Amino acid sequence: MDSSPANRRFAEDIGVSFPLLSDWKRKVVKDYGLLDENTGYAARATFVVDKEGIIKNIEEGRTAIDPTGAYQACSVFDKKKPAP
Amino acid sequence: MARRIIHLTMLLLTLALLVHAQETKPQQPAQGANPPAPPKTHLKVGQTAPDFTLTDTTGKAVKLSDFKGQKNVVLAFYVLAFTGG
Repeated sequence: MDSSPANRRFAEDIGVSFPLLSDWKRKVVKDYGLLDENTGYAARATFVVDKEGIIKNIEEGRTAIDPTGAYQACSVFDKKKPAP
Repeated sequence: MARRIIHLTMLLLTLALLVHAQETKPQQPAQGANPPAPPKTHLKVGQTAPDFTLTDTTGKAVKLSDFKGQKNVVLAFYVLAFTGG
């Protein structure tokens, strides 16, 4: 929802190593069912998506702020790796 | 007679004040009323994540489906930059 320039400054401030994408037109939050039409703001959420594009985990609201759920969901991918 | 008129007047005045008080009583929110809940996604685990193309901080377009067959992706919807989320 923030503009790309705002995201760039935010990314510099917090030193992220992943892409910060701008959903300025609020299309993606709408597609994901997170846009509150009354306030114009979106809800906080984290989705874990596998290599095939399938949703493997969803965290919403307060639980999405804590990365533990998404982190645990990602650890499932490691277990699926074939043994060397 | 005058006394009865005074009593009646006082009674009417009291009634009028009671009615007025009833009418002007401020509307208070119902006890225990909660603010509207934030929207919840209609998407479910096991469904295909809706595809999108958005620009990153360098202006480069990033498409979710470009990661298909390449990488697992974590999509963190972070509502407002410079806040605690």
